[in-house]
Amino acid sequence: MKLSTYLSLGLVALVLGVLIVFQFRVTRHIEQGIPAGRAQELALELRQLEKDKSKLEAEANDLSLKLEQVTRGQTEAEKALKDELAKARLLAGLVSVTGPGIEVTLDNPPQQPGGGGAASLYVIRDEDLLRVINELRGAGAEALSINGQRIVAHSEIRWAAPFINVNLTRVVPPYHILAIGKPDNLKSALEIPGGLVEYLLDLGVQVKIQPYDRLTIPGYSRTTEFRYAKPVVKG
Amino acid sequence: MWLGIWLAVAGLVLGVLLGLNIPLVLPQVYAKYLSVAALAALDSVFGGIRAAMEDQFDNTVFISGFFSNALLAAGLAFIGERLGIDLYLAAVVAFGVRLFQNLAIIRRYLFKKIK
Repeated sequence: MKLSTYLSLGLVALVLGVLIVFQFRVTRHIEQGIPAGRAQELALELRQLEKDKSKLEAEANDLSLKLEQVTRGQTEAEKALKDELAKARLLAGLVSVTGPGIEVTLDNPPQQPGGGGAASLYVIRDEDLLRVINELRGAGAEALSINGQRIVAHSEIRWAAPFINVNLTRVVPPYHILAIGKPDNLKSALEIPGGLVEYLLDLGVQVKIQPYDRLTIPGYSRTTEFRYAKPVVKG
Repeated sequence: MWLGIWLAVAGLVLGVLLGLNIPLVLPQVYAKYLSVAALAALDSVFGGIRAAMEDQFDNTVFISGFFSNALLAAGLAFIGERLGIDLYLAAVVAFGVRLFQNLAIIRRYLFKKIK
Protein backbone atom coordinates (compact mmCIF):
# COMPACT_ATOMS: atom_id res chain seq x y z
CA MET A 1 0.00 0.00 0.00
CA LYS A 2 1.11 3.50 -0.71
CA LEU A 3 1.93 6.17 1.83
CA SER A 4 -1.01 8.30 0.80
CA THR A 5 -3.34 5.44 1.62
CA TYR A 6 -1.97 5.22 5.14
CA LEU A 7 -2.20 8.93 5.53
CA SER A 8 -5.78 9.01 4.34
CA LEU A 9 -6.61 6.07 6.57
CA GLY A 10 -5.18 7.86 9.57
CA LEU A 11 -6.97 11.07 8.69
CA VAL A 12 -10.29 9.32 8.25
CA ALA A 13 -9.85 7.47 11.53
CA LEU A 14 -9.01 10.78 13.24
CA VAL A 15 -12.05 12.54 11.85
CA LEU A 16 -14.25 9.58 12.74
CA GLY A 17 -12.94 9.56 16.29
CA VAL A 18 -13.54 13.27 16.67
CA LEU A 19 -17.05 12.96 15.24
CA ILE A 20 -18.03 10.06 17.47
CA VAL A 21 -16.63 11.62 20.64
CA PHE A 22 -18.28 14.91 19.83
CA GLN A 23 -21.61 13.21 19.36
CA PHE A 24 -21.05 11.30 22.56
CA ARG A 25 -20.43 14.46 24.50
CA VAL A 26 -23.37 16.29 22.99
CA THR A 27 -25.70 13.41 23.84
CA ARG A 28 -24.40 13.21 27.38
CA HIS A 29 -24.78 16.97 27.66
CA ILE A 30 -28.39 16.72 26.54
CA GLU A 31 -29.08 14.02 29.07
CA GLN A 32 -27.56 16.10 31.84
CA GLY A 33 -28.98 19.39 30.70
CA ILE A 34 -32.46 20.51 29.99
CA PRO A 35 -34.17 19.37 26.80
CA ALA A 36 -34.95 22.13 24.36
CA GLY A 37 -38.70 21.56 24.66
CA ARG A 38 -38.54 21.71 28.42
CA ALA A 39 -36.69 25.02 28.26
CA GLN A 40 -39.38 26.44 26.01
CA GLU A 41 -42.04 25.17 28.34
CA LEU A 42 -40.31 26.77 31.30
CA ALA A 43 -39.92 30.04 29.46
CA LEU A 44 -43.61 30.00 28.66
CA GLU A 45 -44.43 29.24 32.28
CA LEU A 46 -42.12 32.02 33.42
CA ARG A 47 -43.84 34.49 31.15
CA GLN A 48 -47.23 33.35 32.40
CA LEU A 49 -46.12 33.65 36.01
CA GLU A 50 -44.68 37.08 35.39
CA LYS A 51 -47.99 38.14 33.93
CA ASP A 52 -49.79 36.69 36.94
CA LYS A 53 -47.38 38.43 39.26
CA SER A 54 -47.91 41.84 37.70
CA LYS A 55 -51.66 41.25 37.83
CA LEU A 56 -51.49 40.31 41.48
CA GLU A 57 -49.30 43.29 42.23
CA ALA A 58 -51.85 45.58 40.66
CA GLU A 59 -54.55 43.90 42.71
CA ALA A 60 -52.51 44.29 45.89
CA ASN A 61 -52.03 47.97 45.17
CA ASP A 62 -55.72 48.37 44.56
CA LEU A 63 -56.61 46.58 47.76
CA SER A 64 -54.15 48.54 49.88
CA LEU A 65 -55.59 51.72 48.42
CA LYS A 66 -59.07 50.55 49.37
CA LEU A 67 -57.84 49.63 52.82
CA GLU A 68 -56.36 53.07 53.22
CA GLN A 69 -59.63 54.64 52.17
CA VAL A 70 -61.54 52.47 54.60
CA THR A 71 -59.16 53.34 57.41
CA ARG A 72 -59.47 56.98 56.60
CA GLY A 73 -63.27 56.61 56.53
CA GLN A 74 -63.15 54.87 59.89
CA THR A 75 -61.12 57.62 61.52
CA GLU A 76 -63.47 60.16 60.01
CA ALA A 77 -66.45 58.29 61.40
CA GLU A 78 -64.74 58.04 64.78
CA LYS A 79 -64.06 61.74 64.74
CA ALA A 80 -67.67 62.46 63.77
CA LEU A 81 -68.86 60.23 66.60
CA LYS A 82 -66.59 61.96 69.08
CA ASP A 83 -67.81 65.35 67.87
CA GLU A 84 -71.36 64.17 68.21
CA LEU A 85 -70.66 62.88 71.70
CA ALA A 86 -69.03 66.13 72.74
CA LYS A 87 -72.01 68.04 71.36
CA ALA A 88 -74.42 65.79 73.21
CA ARG A 89 -72.49 66.20 76.46
CA LEU A 90 -72.49 69.94 76.01
CA LEU A 91 -76.20 69.90 75.31
CA ALA A 92 -76.86 67.74 78.37
CA GLY A 93 -74.82 70.10 80.56
CA LEU A 94 -72.32 67.47 81.61
CA VAL A 95 -69.26 69.58 80.82
CA SER A 96 -68.08 72.84 82.29
CA VAL A 97 -68.61 75.75 79.98
CA THR A 98 -67.13 79.19 79.82
CA GLY A 99 -68.07 82.38 78.05
CA PRO A 100 -69.51 85.85 78.51
CA GLY A 101 -72.52 86.20 80.76
CA ILE A 102 -73.96 87.78 83.88
CA GLU A 103 -74.09 86.99 87.54
CA VAL A 104 -77.35 87.71 89.35
CA THR A 105 -77.04 87.84 93.09
CA LEU A 106 -80.25 87.62 95.12
CA ASP A 107 -80.36 87.94 98.84
CA ASN A 108 -83.05 88.09 101.39
CA PRO A 109 -84.15 91.49 102.61
CA PRO A 110 -81.90 92.77 105.36
CA GLN A 111 -83.19 91.79 108.73
CA GLN A 112 -84.02 94.99 110.49
CA PRO A 113 -82.87 94.92 114.05
CA GLY A 114 -85.82 94.62 116.32
CA GLY A 115 -88.05 93.13 113.73
CA GLY A 116 -90.93 95.02 112.22
CA GLY A 117 -91.97 95.75 108.64
CA ALA A 118 -93.68 93.33 106.33
CA ALA A 119 -90.84 93.56 103.82
CA SER A 120 -88.41 92.22 106.28
CA LEU A 121 -90.46 89.08 106.69
CA TYR A 122 -90.12 88.19 103.06
CA VAL A 123 -87.65 85.44 102.10
CA ILE A 124 -86.79 84.41 98.60
CA ARG A 125 -88.85 81.41 97.56
CA ASP A 126 -88.33 78.78 94.93
CA GLU A 127 -90.79 80.53 92.63
CA ASP A 128 -88.58 83.58 92.55
CA LEU A 129 -85.55 81.56 91.52
CA LEU A 130 -87.64 79.71 88.97
CA ARG A 131 -88.87 82.95 87.47
CA VAL A 132 -85.34 84.31 87.24
CA ILE A 133 -84.14 81.13 85.59
CA ASN A 134 -87.11 81.14 83.26
CA GLU A 135 -86.53 84.76 82.32
CA LEU A 136 -82.85 84.16 81.66
CA ARG A 137 -83.67 81.14 79.50
CA GLY A 138 -86.13 83.21 77.58
CA ALA A 139 -83.43 85.80 77.00
CA GLY A 140 -81.17 83.21 75.39
CA ALA A 141 -79.00 81.96 78.25
CA GLU A 142 -77.12 78.89 77.13
CA ALA A 143 -75.96 77.62 80.50
CA LEU A 144 -77.28 78.39 84.00
CA SER A 145 -76.30 77.55 87.52
CA ILE A 146 -77.44 78.42 91.03
CA ASN A 147 -74.72 78.43 93.66
CA GLY A 148 -72.62 76.12 91.57
CA GLN A 149 -75.47 73.71 90.77
CA ARG A 150 -75.81 73.41 87.05
CA ILE A 151 -79.38 73.69 85.80
CA VAL A 152 -79.97 70.83 83.36
CA ALA A 153 -83.06 69.38 81.73
CA HIS A 154 -84.15 67.47 84.81
CA SER A 155 -82.95 69.84 87.52
CA GLU A 156 -85.49 70.79 90.13
CA ILE A 157 -85.78 74.01 92.09
CA ARG A 158 -87.93 73.09 94.99
CA TRP A 159 -88.97 74.57 98.28
CA ALA A 160 -88.02 72.12 100.98
CA ALA A 161 -88.71 74.33 103.97
CA PRO A 162 -86.82 76.18 105.12
CA PHE A 163 -84.36 75.61 102.28
CA ILE A 164 -84.41 75.47 98.56
CA ASN A 165 -83.15 72.32 96.89
CA VAL A 166 -81.46 72.48 93.54
CA ASN A 167 -80.32 69.17 92.09
CA LEU A 168 -81.19 67.61 95.48
CA THR A 169 -78.64 69.94 97.07
CA ARG A 170 -79.50 72.61 99.55
CA VAL A 171 -78.71 76.11 98.45
CA VAL A 172 -78.65 78.97 100.90
CA PRO A 173 -78.80 82.73 100.42
CA PRO A 174 -77.23 84.68 98.92
CA TYR A 175 -78.15 83.02 95.65
CA HIS A 176 -75.62 83.46 92.90
CA ILE A 177 -77.20 82.75 89.55
CA LEU A 178 -74.72 82.47 86.70
CA ALA A 179 -75.90 82.64 83.10
CA ILE A 180 -73.86 82.42 79.93
CA GLY A 181 -75.31 84.29 77.01
CA LYS A 182 -75.21 87.78 75.57
CA PRO A 183 -74.79 89.91 78.74
CA ASP A 184 -76.78 92.89 77.43
CA ASN A 185 -79.73 90.73 76.42
CA LEU A 186 -79.79 88.89 79.71
CA LYS A 187 -79.47 92.06 81.75
CA SER A 188 -82.14 93.97 79.87
CA ALA A 189 -84.53 91.01 80.05
CA LEU A 190 -84.37 91.15 83.81
CA GLU A 191 -84.34 94.93 84.17
CA ILE A 192 -87.20 95.67 81.81
CA PRO A 193 -89.53 98.22 83.45
CA GLY A 194 -92.28 96.37 85.28
CA GLY A 195 -90.15 93.26 85.00
CA LEU A 196 -88.80 90.77 87.41
CA VAL A 197 -86.08 92.85 89.03
CA GLU A 198 -88.51 95.64 89.75
CA TYR A 199 -90.92 93.17 91.27
CA LEU A 200 -88.24 91.64 93.45
CA LEU A 201 -86.95 95.01 94.53
CA ASP A 202 -90.47 95.94 95.49
CA LEU A 203 -90.50 92.89 97.71
CA GLY A 204 -87.32 94.12 99.37
CA VAL A 205 -85.04 91.49 97.86
CA GLN A 206 -81.48 92.62 97.28
CA VAL A 207 -80.72 92.18 93.60
CA LYS A 208 -77.37 92.72 91.99
CA ILE A 209 -76.60 92.10 88.35
CA GLN A 210 -73.01 91.97 87.22
CA PRO A 211 -72.00 91.33 83.57
CA TYR A 212 -68.81 89.40 82.94
CA ASP A 213 -66.72 88.99 79.82
CA ARG A 214 -65.86 85.53 80.89
CA LEU A 215 -67.27 83.25 83.52
CA THR A 216 -67.23 79.51 84.01
CA ILE A 217 -70.21 77.34 84.85
CA PRO A 218 -69.46 73.85 86.19
CA GLY A 219 -70.94 70.77 84.63
CA TYR A 220 -73.71 68.65 86.11
CA SER A 221 -71.90 66.46 88.59
CA ARG A 222 -74.45 63.77 89.45
CA THR A 223 -74.76 60.65 87.41
CA THR A 224 -78.04 60.37 85.64
CA GLU A 225 -79.60 57.02 85.30
CA PHE A 226 -82.76 56.34 83.38
CA ARG A 227 -84.39 53.51 85.21
CA TYR A 228 -87.87 53.79 83.75
CA ALA A 229 -87.57 55.77 80.59
CA LYS A 230 -86.39 53.75 77.65
CA PRO A 231 -85.85 55.09 74.18
CA VAL A 232 -88.51 54.11 71.65
CA VAL A 233 -87.07 52.11 68.82
CA LYS A 234 -88.66 53.17 65.60
CA GLY A 235 -89.37 50.76 62.78
CA MET B 1 -2.32 -4.53 6.01
CA TRP B 2 -1.50 -4.69 9.69
CA LEU B 3 0.29 -1.39 9.54
CA GLY B 4 -2.85 0.09 8.06
CA ILE B 5 -4.98 -1.30 10.88
CA TRP B 6 -2.62 0.00 13.53
CA LEU B 7 -2.51 3.38 11.87
CA ALA B 8 -6.29 3.44 11.79
CA VAL B 9 -6.50 2.50 15.49
CA ALA B 10 -3.89 5.12 16.36
CA GLY B 11 -5.81 7.72 14.39
CA LEU B 12 -9.02 6.75 16.13
CA VAL B 13 -7.44 7.02 19.59
CA LEU B 14 -5.90 10.35 18.66
CA GLY B 15 -9.26 11.58 17.40
CA VAL B 16 -11.00 10.45 20.57
CA LEU B 17 -8.43 12.23 22.72
CA LEU B 18 -8.69 15.33 20.54
CA GLY B 19 -12.48 15.30 20.72
CA LEU B 20 -12.42 14.88 24.48
CA ASN B 21 -10.00 17.74 24.97
CA ILE B 22 -11.63 20.29 22.71
CA PRO B 23 -13.47 22.57 25.16
CA LEU B 24 -16.11 23.24 22.55
CA VAL B 25 -19.55 21.69 22.96
CA LEU B 26 -21.77 21.80 19.91
CA PRO B 27 -25.18 23.37 20.37
CA GLN B 28 -27.90 20.80 20.77
CA VAL B 29 -29.55 22.01 17.58
CA TYR B 30 -26.68 20.52 15.53
CA ALA B 31 -26.62 17.23 17.44
CA LYS B 32 -28.91 15.60 14.90
CA TYR B 33 -26.76 16.54 11.90
CA LEU B 34 -23.62 15.42 13.65
CA SER B 35 -25.12 12.06 14.55
CA VAL B 36 -26.13 11.36 10.95
CA ALA B 37 -22.74 12.52 9.71
CA ALA B 38 -21.02 10.22 12.20
CA LEU B 39 -23.16 7.33 11.03
CA ALA B 40 -22.30 8.05 7.38
CA ALA B 41 -18.61 8.22 8.24
CA LEU B 42 -18.85 4.92 10.05
CA ASP B 43 -20.53 3.41 7.00
CA SER B 44 -17.75 4.70 4.78
CA VAL B 45 -15.14 3.17 7.04
CA PHE B 46 -16.84 -0.20 6.95
CA GLY B 47 -17.20 0.12 3.21
CA GLY B 48 -13.48 0.82 3.00
CA ILE B 49 -12.65 -2.24 5.07
CA ARG B 50 -14.84 -4.38 2.84
CA ALA B 51 -13.18 -2.96 -0.25
CA ALA B 52 -9.81 -3.73 1.23
CA MET B 53 -10.93 -7.29 1.89
CA GLU B 54 -12.04 -7.61 -1.72
CA ASP B 55 -8.76 -6.06 -2.88
CA GLN B 56 -10.71 -3.29 -4.57
CA PHE B 57 -9.60 -0.51 -2.25
CA ASP B 58 -9.22 2.86 -3.97
CA ASN B 59 -7.92 5.66 -1.85
CA THR B 60 -9.64 8.45 -3.77
CA VAL B 61 -12.99 6.71 -3.69
CA PHE B 62 -12.58 6.02 0.00
CA ILE B 63 -11.69 9.60 0.98
CA SER B 64 -14.25 11.24 -1.27
CA GLY B 65 -16.92 8.78 -0.18
CA PHE B 66 -16.14 9.38 3.46
CA PHE B 67 -16.56 13.14 3.30
CA SER B 68 -19.33 13.28 0.71
CA ASN B 69 -21.38 10.72 2.61
CA ALA B 70 -21.00 12.62 5.88
CA LEU B 71 -21.81 15.97 4.26
CA LEU B 72 -24.75 14.56 2.31
CA ALA B 73 -26.20 12.95 5.42
CA ALA B 74 -25.87 16.18 7.39
CA GLY B 75 -27.30 18.16 4.47
CA LEU B 76 -30.19 15.75 4.15
CA ALA B 77 -30.98 16.15 7.82
CA PHE B 78 -30.80 19.92 7.45
CA ILE B 79 -33.11 19.99 4.44
CA GLY B 80 -35.49 17.60 6.16
CA GLU B 81 -35.58 19.92 9.12
CA ARG B 82 -36.43 22.86 6.86
CA LEU B 83 -39.11 20.93 5.00
CA GLY B 84 -40.65 19.52 8.12
CA ILE B 85 -39.88 15.92 7.11
CA ASP B 86 -37.59 13.73 9.16
CA LEU B 87 -35.31 13.12 6.14
CA TYR B 88 -32.41 12.18 8.37
CA LEU B 89 -34.32 8.96 9.00
CA ALA B 90 -33.69 8.10 5.34
CA ALA B 91 -29.97 8.55 5.90
CA VAL B 92 -30.10 6.54 9.11
CA VAL B 93 -31.94 3.67 7.44
CA ALA B 94 -29.80 3.68 4.27
CA PHE B 95 -26.50 3.87 6.10
CA GLY B 96 -27.65 1.46 8.77
CA VAL B 97 -28.63 -1.16 6.18
CA ARG B 98 -25.36 -0.71 4.34
CA LEU B 99 -23.47 -0.88 7.60
CA PHE B 100 -24.93 -4.27 8.40
CA GLN B 101 -24.45 -5.50 4.87
CA ASN B 102 -20.80 -4.49 4.88
CA LEU B 103 -20.37 -6.05 8.27
CA ALA B 104 -21.87 -9.31 7.00
CA ILE B 105 -19.57 -9.37 3.99
CA ILE B 106 -16.53 -8.61 6.14
CA ARG B 107 -17.53 -11.44 8.45
CA ARG B 108 -17.73 -13.90 5.59
CA TYR B 109 -14.36 -12.83 4.29
CA LEU B 110 -12.86 -13.27 7.72
CA PHE B 111 -14.38 -16.78 8.01
CA LYS B 112 -13.09 -17.63 4.56
CA LYS B 113 -9.61 -16.51 5.58
CA ILE B 114 -9.63 -18.53 8.76
CA LYS B 115 -10.71 -21.74 6.94
